[in-house]
Amino acid sequence: MSLTVLGVRHHSPACARLVGETIAALRPAFVLIEGPADMNHRIGELLLGHELPVAIFTSYADDHRRHGSWAPFCAYSPEWVALTAGHAAGAELRFIDLPAWHEAFADRSNRYADAEQRYAEAVERLRTAFGVDNTDALWDHLVEMEPGEGLTERLTAYFDLIRGEAAAGPSDTAREAYMAGWLRAAVRAAGDRPVVAVVGGFHRPALLRLAADPAPAGSATPGLAAPAASGPVAPPSAPAASDASGAVGWPAVPAPPAGASGGSYLVPYSFRRLDAFAGYQSGMPSPEYYQRLWADGPAEAARYLVTAVAGRLRGRGQPVSTADLIAARTSAEALALLRGHRHPARVDVLDGLAAALINEALDVPLPWSVRGTITAGQHPAVVEMTAALSGDRVGRLHPGTPLPPLVHAATAELERLGLDRDGEHRLDLLEPADRERSRALHRLRVLDVPGHVRTAGPATGADPVLTETWTVRTDANRLVALIEAGGYGPTLGSAATARIGERVDEAGNRLGQLADALFDAALCGVTELAGDLPARLERGVAAGTDLAELGRVLAVTLALWRHDRLLGTAGSDLLAAVVVGATRRILWLAEGWHGAALPADPHRIRAVVAVRDAVRHAGVVGVERTPAVAVAERIAADRAAPPDLRGAFFGLARDLTGDDADPAPAVRGAFLGGTAGDWLAGLFAVARESVLEPGGILAVLDELVRGLGAEDFLVALPALRQAFEFFPPRERETIADRLLELRGLRGSARDLLRTTVPPGLVAAGLALDEAVEQRLTRAGLIPGVCGD
Amino acid sequence: MSRAVFSGVSDPSAGRAQRPPAEVRHADELARLRGADDAPRPPGWALSLRAARAFIVGDGALGISRKFVGDPSLIDRALVSLATSRGLLLVGEPGTAKSLLSELLAAAVSGDSTLTVQGGAATTEDQIKYSWNYALLVAEGPTERSLVPAPLLRGMAQGRTVRFEEITRCPLEVQDCLLSPLSDRVMAVPELPGDAGMVFARDGFNIIATANTRDRGVNDMSSALKRRFNFETVFPIADLDTELALVESEATELLRRSGVTAPPRRDVLEVLVTTFRELRTGRTSRGDEMERLSSVMSTAEAVSVAHAVGLRGWFLRGTAGDAADLVSCLAGTAAKDSPEDLAKLRRYLEQHTAWRGGEQWRALRDARRELPGG
Repeated sequence: MSLTVLGVRHHSPACARLVGETIAALRPAFVLIEGPADMNHRIGELLLGHELPVAIFTSYADDHRRHGSWAPFCAYSPEWVALTAGHAAGAELRFIDLPAWHEAFADRSNRYADAEQRYAEAVERLRTAFGVDNTDALWDHLVEMEPGEGLTERLTAYFDLIRGEAAAGPSDTAREAYMAGWLRAAVRAAGDRPVVAVVGGFHRPALLRLAADPAPAGSATPGLAAPAASGPVAPPSAPAASDASGAVGWPAVPAPPAGASGGSYLVPYSFRRLDAFAGYQSGMPSPEYYQRLWADGPAEAARYLVTAVAGRLRGRGQPVSTADLIAARTSAEALALLRGHRHPARVDVLDGLAAALINEALDVPLPWSVRGTITAGQHPAVVEMTAALSGDRVGRLHPGTPLPPLVHAATAELERLGLDRDGEHRLDLLEPADRERSRALHRLRVLDVPGHVRTAGPATGADPVLTETWTVRTDANRLVALIEAGGYGPTLGSAATARIGERVDEAGNRLGQLADALFDAALCGVTELAGDLPARLERGVAAGTDLAELGRVLAVTLALWRHDRLLGTAGSDLLAAVVVGATRRILWLAEGWHGAALPADPHRIRAVVAVRDAVRHAGVVGVERTPAVAVAERIAADRAAPPDLRGAFFGLARDLTGDDADPAPAVRGAFLGGTAGDWLAGLFAVARESVLEPGGILAVLDELVRGLGAEDFLVALPALRQAFEFFPPRERETIADRLLELRGLRGSARDLLRTTVPPGLVAAGLALDEAVEQRLTRAGLIPGVCGD
Repeated sequence: MSRAVFSGVSDPSAGRAQRPPAEVRHADELARLRGADDAPRPPGWALSLRAARAFIVGDGALGISRKFVGDPSLIDRALVSLATSRGLLLVGEPGTAKSLLSELLAAAVSGDSTLTVQGGAATTEDQIKYSWNYALLVAEGPTERSLVPAPLLRGMAQGRTVRFEEITRCPLEVQDCLLSPLSDRVMAVPELPGDAGMVFARDGFNIIATANTRDRGVNDMSSALKRRFNFETVFPIADLDTELALVESEATELLRRSGVTAPPRRDVLEVLVTTFRELRTGRTSRGDEMERLSSVMSTAEAVSVAHAVGLRGWFLRGTAGDAADLVSCLAGTAAKDSPEDLAKLRRYLEQHTAWRGGEQWRALRDARRELPGG
C-alpha cells in the first residue's frame, strides 16, 4: 500500500505548498481531507469557483445543546489546496472527519483551530528552546521562513514531539478513530495506487498507528454520539466506482440523533472573522500577511506589511517619516539576521516597525508577543499594524451555490406571517400572532437585513407602548444580506440568537450597548443563548463602572426576568446572569464610594433598592444573601461613605436579616453630622416599613426633628422632603396620624398634609422669621436663645 | 578600568562584595560564550548579537542560564537598537527588572556594566560628562591629567555602553546633554586645547537609559531626546506560573541567606503572587474588575513580601510563613502609608477571597483582621 499522511497546520502557506506539490507528484487515487464527512455528497459545491475566504457553517440544535461552528477555507489553507489540487489530479476527494455537530466538537467553534493549543506543554518547551515569544513566532521560525527542503521531516519532528507528550482527550481520540477508518478503507479501495491524506499534524502520529492496525472494517467507532443503530444511517458519501461493490467498507457518516435539527452549508467568510477566533478556537493569525506570503513570497510580504502600515498611518494623519521607514527596514533586516531568517519574518517586520514608530511607553504589551486578540489600550500605530495584518478581504460565493437554509427559512416564514409584500403593518403586541410577526421583523432587523423598518414601538424595556408599526419594502440588497447572515444560523431565530451573542461580546463592559443587545434579545424573543454567553454577559456587567447606570440595568432586567410574560423573558437564564453580575458589581462599587458630604442622589439610592429586590427574589439563580448583608453592614458603619448610601444600606441590612434591634441609635447617629435628610432618603427608599411599623423609628425621628435648631432644620429641609417623597400619599397620612397621636393632639391627618402655600414659600417664611428673630436678639430687644 | 582601593575604608578581612556587577557574577558564562562565538560582531562589541542574546535569554547547550524572564523578542529588539545609531530607553513600571536588563545588556555588549549614571533630582552635568581635579587644575591648568572623566566621557572614549538609570528623574536640561553624544557621537571639552578638546565616540559606544512610567513619567523628556532613543516597554511578567516560579526561587534563596531553613510554602506563594497580580492589574482571575492599588505591586515587591513572610513564620514560630503572616506583611508593602490603599486591600480580602476554593484563601480571608485598624 502507499499511504501518505501529510500532517499540516491549518492555514499554513508552507504546508499548503507541500500538499500541492505532493498531490501533483503522486497523482493519488484518493485525497482524504480533515473535514466534515457529512459534506461529502456536496463536495462539488466547494469547487464551483468561489471568491475566498468561504466557510462550511454547521448548525445543530437538540433538546440539550445548540451549537454553531465553522470550517473556514482561504487560498492558502492546506485543506483547500488538497481539494483543488486533488480535483486537478483527477483524484477522488473525501472529507474524513466527524461532522461538526458531533459531540467531539461540542466545545469548538472553529474546526481548523490549532489542536496543540490544548496540549501546550511541549510547545512551551520548544518556545523556550528557540527563544521566541509564542507559538506563531515559533511556527514562522521553523516552517514558514525556511525553504521547502526537509520541510516534511521538520513537520514530522515538530508534531511527533508535541503529540509524543500529550495523551489526547476523548474528543480527539474519537475523531482519530473515525478518520483512521476512512484511511483504511481508502487504501483498500485504491489498490496499488497512492492515497494522500491531509490532516492536522497533531493527529498524524495517531492516524499512522491506527491506519496500520488491521482493525476489522466497519468496527464500531468509539465515542460516537449516534452509533449507526440509533438513527437512520446516511449513505456513505458520493458513491465511487471502487466502493460500489461494498467490500471496501467506507465508514458510515453518523446521522444526527432523532429530534435534532441542523445542517451544513457554505457561507461567505472574511479575513476579519478568521482572525477573530481566540483562545482554544484560534488558528494562525494575520490572514492578509499569509495571503501575501502565499501569493508573493516572504520578501514581498514583508514589503507589503511596511507599505500598508505606513499608508494606513499616514491616511490617519499620523506622521511617518522616510527616516522612520528606513529605521524600520534596517531593524527588521537586523532582527531577521539575528534570528536566522533569510527574509524578515512577520514578527521581524512588526518588531522593526514598533521600534521605529513608537516613541513612548506602551500601556499594554505588543499583541504579537502575547497570543490572542487585540486588547484595549493599544498604541495607534500598533492598531494599524494589526489591522494591516488582518486585512479586510471578504469572500463571495459562486452564484450557483445552493443558498443557505436561512434564505429559504426566512422567505417561508415571512410568507407564512404575511409579511412578504410591501406595505405598512401595525402590530398589537398583546396579540400572539402579531407578536410572532414582530419577532420575525426584529430578527431581520438585528441581522441587518434591509427592507424592514420599524417606525414606532417601545423604545426601552420599561416603555409601556404595546403597539408597533413596521414598513416593509423590497430592497435589492435583501438577498445578499440574508446569504451573509446565513453564517449565523439556519433559521431566523437561531441566526438572531448568534448575532446578539456576538453583540454582547463586542459590547464588553459598555453597559449601554449591553442593555441594547439585551433589549433586542427580548424583542426578538431570544431568551436562551448558547454556550458560555450568559457567563460572558455576566462578566461584561461585572466590569461596569457607573453605579446609577448599573442600578437602572439591574432594575429593568430584574423586572423583565420576574414578570415579563409578554416578551417571554420571565425566568430567562440570560437575564438571570445579568441580575447576578449587576448585583455583585453594585455591591462592590458602592463599598468603594467615599464622600461623607455628598448630597443624596436618587439614582444611586435606586441601585440599592434594585439590589434589595434582587436578593429577595433572585436567590434561586445565585444572588447570594450573606455577602450582600456583610457589605451592607460595612457601608452602614462606614463614616466615609455618602450618607444616602449609609442610610440605604442600613435599611438593606435590616431588611435582609430581619433584624429588629432598636434602630434609634443609628438614627441618632445620622442626625449628628447634619446630613440626616440624605441618610433618611436612603433608608426610606429601601425600608420604609421601618417607619410605619409599630414601634418603628417615628418617635425618635419626631424627637430629633423637634430638637433641630431653626437653621439646621432649614438646611435639612430639602433633603427631609426628598426623603419623605418615597412614601405614597396614603402612607404619609398614616405617618401624620401617628404624629398627632404621639403628641396627643387631635385633628385631621389629611389636613396636615394639605398645604395651601407652596413649601418653598413656607421655608422662606421660616427663614425670614429666623433672621428677624436673630436681629432682634442682637439688638437686645428680645431675650437671646441661650438665655431662653 | 581602575578599581580604587580605599586604604582607609576597605578592610581586606571584610566579606565579599554584596553584589558584584553582572560581568563578574557571570564571568564564566561570558567566557564560554566568547569562546564559542563565531558569528560576526558589530564593531566595538565584546560579543556577537546572537551570543549576547544567548547570555540574557539563556542557552541550554552552552550551559548559559536564563537571566531575564520576559519576551525574548524584547531582547532582540534591544540588542538591534544598541547596534544602530539610536540609544535604548527601557521604560516600565517600577520593579520590572529594567535596571537588571540594562546591566545584563551592558555586560554582554561591552563586558562592563559599571559605567553608570544614577539619575536623580540632584544629578548635574559634571556627574555625567566630566569634572576636574581641582588641585591639579590649579597647579597645571586644564590638561588631560587634571580632567576627571565621568561615565559618559569614559564610555565614548573607550567605546563602551553607558547606563543611565532613572533618566527622567533628572532635570530636563541635564538630560539634554546627551543630545550631541547621541546624534553627533562627539563631546566637546572646550577647556582643553587643540584636538583634545573634541572627544569622538569609539565604536561600541551607546547609551541604555531606564525610566519609570510611575514616578514622573517619560513626559519630562524633550522630544529631541526622545527621537534619539528607541523605546522598549518592559512589562510585568505576563503569566502566573512564570512569576510564581521566579518568586519562589528568589524567595527561597533570600530565605536561605537569612538563615531560614524552612522553604516557603507553595500554596502560600500562589496566594501571594495571585494577590499581587490582581491588585496590580485591577482584574481578578475570573475577570471581575476592581481598583488597582496606587502603590507598586511588582514582582520585586512580591519577592520581598515572600521573604518577609518566611522570616516572620520562622523567627516567630519556627515554621514556614502562612496566610496570616502574608496579611501582616501585605499591609506594609501594598498599603504603605496610604489609607485608601489599605481600604482597597481590606475590600479585596473581604470580597474577592470568599469565592475561591483552597485552604490558604480561606486562611487569608480569616486573617484579614490582621490589617491595621481591622
